[in-house]
Amino acid sequence: MPGVSSDTSGGALAPFSPESHGAAVYPLHHGLKSPISRLSISWSRGNSLRVSVFAAPSNHSVNEEAGGKVVEVKLGSGDGEISDSHWRRIAYDSVSPFALLQSRKNAASSFSKMSMNSSPYDVDWSEYILEYSKDINALLGNQKSVPAPFIDDPKSVIKKGEEPTSLKAAWELLEIFYAEKPFQSWLPERLVDWLTGYDSLFSGTHPTVHSKLVDFQKGLVNLQVVEDDPRYWEVISSALAVGWLDIVVKLLRLHGSYRLDQLSNRETENGLVEAVAVLISKMPRMRLEQEDGILGESFKAKPDFVKAWEKWRAHINKLDSSAFWFQCAHQQTREGLRSMLQIMLGNADSLCTATCHWVELYISHLLYIRPFTVGLESMYNLAQKCIQLKPMACADRLMQLIIGILGENTEVVLAECSKGFGPWMVTHAIELLTAGSDHAEMLLHEEHKNLGGISIEELYRLVYAQVLSSHPLTWQIASIYLASCMKQGMVLLQILLSKQPVQHNQLLLKNIEICRLYELDSITSNIMKIAGVYHWKHGRKGSGVFWLQQARDEYRLNRIAQQLFDSVGKTISDESFKQWEGLIQLLGSESKTAGGLEFLHKYRDFKKSLQQIHDGKTTDDARQAVESLISLMKNPSTPQRFWLPLLYDSLKLLNWQDRPLFNVSQTNLLLNKLQELSMARLRPGFIEPDLPPHALNSVRLALATNLGRAILEE
Amino acid sequence: MEKPVATLDRGTTCSAWNYCSERLAAGSVDGSLSILDSRDPSSSSFTRSSKFKAHEAGIVKVAWIPPEYGDAVACICEDGSLSIWEELVEGTQPLQWKLCKSFKTSSKVLDVQFGVNQTSLRMVAAYSDGGVKVFELIDPLELKNWQLQAEFQNVIDSVSTLGKASCLTACISWNPQRGEGQESSFILGFNSNTPQLNSPKVWEFDAAHQKWLPVAELASPGDKGDQVYSVAWAPNIGRPYELIAVASQKGIAIWHVGSTPDLDGRLSVEKVALLPGHNSEVWQMEWDMSGMTLATTGGDGLVRLWQSNLKGTWHEQAALQPTAS
Repeated sequence: MPGVSSDTSGGALAPFSPESHGAAVYPLHHGLKSPISRLSISWSRGNSLRVSVFAAPSNHSVNEEAGGKVVEVKLGSGDGEISDSHWRRIAYDSVSPFALLQSRKNAASSFSKMSMNSSPYDVDWSEYILEYSKDINALLGNQKSVPAPFIDDPKSVIKKGEEPTSLKAAWELLEIFYAEKPFQSWLPERLVDWLTGYDSLFSGTHPTVHSKLVDFQKGLVNLQVVEDDPRYWEVISSALAVGWLDIVVKLLRLHGSYRLDQLSNRETENGLVEAVAVLISKMPRMRLEQEDGILGESFKAKPDFVKAWEKWRAHINKLDSSAFWFQCAHQQTREGLRSMLQIMLGNADSLCTATCHWVELYISHLLYIRPFTVGLESMYNLAQKCIQLKPMACADRLMQLIIGILGENTEVVLAECSKGFGPWMVTHAIELLTAGSDHAEMLLHEEHKNLGGISIEELYRLVYAQVLSSHPLTWQIASIYLASCMKQGMVLLQILLSKQPVQHNQLLLKNIEICRLYELDSITSNIMKIAGVYHWKHGRKGSGVFWLQQARDEYRLNRIAQQLFDSVGKTISDESFKQWEGLIQLLGSESKTAGGLEFLHKYRDFKKSLQQIHDGKTTDDARQAVESLISLMKNPSTPQRFWLPLLYDSLKLLNWQDRPLFNVSQTNLLLNKLQELSMARLRPGFIEPDLPPHALNSVRLALATNLGRAILEE
Repeated sequence: MEKPVATLDRGTTCSAWNYCSERLAAGSVDGSLSILDSRDPSSSSFTRSSKFKAHEAGIVKVAWIPPEYGDAVACICEDGSLSIWEELVEGTQPLQWKLCKSFKTSSKVLDVQFGVNQTSLRMVAAYSDGGVKVFELIDPLELKNWQLQAEFQNVIDSVSTLGKASCLTACISWNPQRGEGQESSFILGFNSNTPQLNSPKVWEFDAAHQKWLPVAELASPGDKGDQVYSVAWAPNIGRPYELIAVASQKGIAIWHVGSTPDLDGRLSVEKVALLPGHNSEVWQMEWDMSGMTLATTGGDGLVRLWQSNLKGTWHEQAALQPTAS
């Protein structure tokens, strides 16, 4: 997975030794038959990399084959167990528990700052964490971790439920060990439940009690006398060893001595079977609550449990030394039942024989040898002992995770989560790991110079956000995770937002909405600017101007205004004037945004009145045109280079036949402007307007004539 | 793991994705340029939407212009010519790709890259004679008018006289950061017969003097003459230093570059890793958007991915080996 490389050895922070660590080489299937001449790479959003593969030029020109392929690779994502669409659903569903927890954290930290409280992790807090964990657990599937219940078919021992996933199994483990912390007296029973739900997950790589039971059930219908089959006693012992009492009792009741026709001559035998079955169903269990379908007697308080346990053990011992065994004629039954007693008495050898892999052995130890275990005391040593007795056939990700948890090594747990279950898991699991553990919290929140000043927690969130960013359906929720990163999240969010396409309005609006949510004003205006330029250049001038106005991009709007002026300024009778008029209208609607636009708006009014004079020639229209011209010339935003063209356009007004239209002060204003213009011409960089050479003189003459006439009139 | 997204025409020699990875420009040996688009934003299948002849000679490199300036690409051809093509609607004509600008040059253009700051678009071009030119766009809505803003050589000490340089390739990478008030900077290296030109230097624009200044040299004292194949400036999402990858014949070096200059105006530099690279030429290096993973390709025909672990040690994380079937 990008961003994080982890190694569990030595317990140090992901040590790396190049000698022992060759990078994995993955095949990249491109489907080109010709040899490859070159590659080109480009990162798309997030962790998705696009590779262009170019074929070498071939001499066979008839060859119809393509000259190259582009393939997209999502790095470090993908899990054989869970489909992409399922992953996306998990990603979406986990947003709200995550966000809720973050907001509670923020509230708690601001509260603790206010009241100078030392730790935000009080009683309420562990409840929040548990609630969060349960929410996440629920969205991972409905797999119920309840042992196979009795159902009508007496020969159906194992019930097929929804296929369990390793991801959910892993989350439940974390929940048991980190979120439910205060209840650790219940740990053995929680593990029994966990194994009931997930033992089948180990079947792929290891023999399991679950697979034994499944195999046995397959052959069960063909068995006439179950108690004669050694496998019958074997699976019963196995199920007993891992605490699946219901299955054990159910299997025992299949014993031939229960049959009515046999009951009379196998009375003692049946009595022994029933006695064991009753003992099993009375086994004291340290459970939170008595659930339906769970055999055994549940205790919530430890002293009661200890008392009941001693009593129960005494009953087993008594039965074990009973004289009835000599009267039991059926050898297999006798031996089978007595070995079950050995399991219940905690005989280590019996437990080892009955279980298949170390996790089962470990749980059987907790159940029968160390039933009073509290917390994680010496649990790691026990696990090591069990692994010695039942070595792992191969590295299973769940087993590795359990070892990490029992070893109480946060780095290892994180590394296993990352390696086995990916960035989603790590990001969300960190909340559990840090809950209540000062050490883990320090470790995960400490800022590392090597990481550019961020914490491990933030690093993993950034990595997960990258995964989310790479898909069009999940990039939007990346923002929630990025916003929870104090140091580097916001800049990455800005980059992500800047990499979204702008040509589709819906996407653009979504993009802007997210920018607004996080107050990323400069990104908003840049996105709008890109959209404006895109539409402007692609012939949608109106949308272009709209978005540039939204972006308040005066620089480009002024250029557009100039372009418009150039185009409308050529001649007033031009057909193109009509074409541009609408645009000027649009530009004018928010004329305050840019000086150039304000000018253009006025210019449009001026041109309009001039045109009316051409059409109708009324003095009223002419007066209006004069007003427009004066206001244009007075306005400081009117570019100097347009002064002369404006005046030249107005020659008709200046030379108005009936009477002078400009009064003395107006004419003086125009003359001053002309004077200013003459001065400006002497400066370098002056752009000569595109007008006939006599333009200046005609204007000057017209102004002088008008001034004379105006003075006379006044 | 992989998914095909596009098929390219015979003779395609280079390609480049635009800012949002929604358009692909592909140049061909016959001088034609193809543009590939997807039908809708959620689709990841790209097909050709236009194809036009950009030049007589084959295209060797295409680069997109930043989106604030439109949909346009710069093309470098085998004969070293440089031209800019833009997709736009003009007057009543339909949308089409048009030649905006053809740059006249006496020596070959080897690489070209665009950098954006608050108000302007700048283009850096590196030439086969070892020259570097920076052009600035005059009108933000017209890609026709470029002004030569600066011209210099990739040397720290401009007093030393160079022989006639002959450069095979050049590589340029702009600082992707464009924060407010930040001056533009880029890194540039050559693969040439002139040692002084080769070593990659960070050039920063000094607004007060309107001048480009070399502020850092990313080569150890013994490696300054090494031919440089590729450079890549990583996005910085909050590190206190900049991260730049430099590929030379010795491998891929990862450099930390400080952000505050010393009294001489130089930035502090530190080589934090030297990775084995591709055991031959490195063709291309690209940082992901977080600047955490570096992807490279090279003469061994593999794509390699490099990352730093939690201790800050750089290593190869994975490699991709193209296979036909």
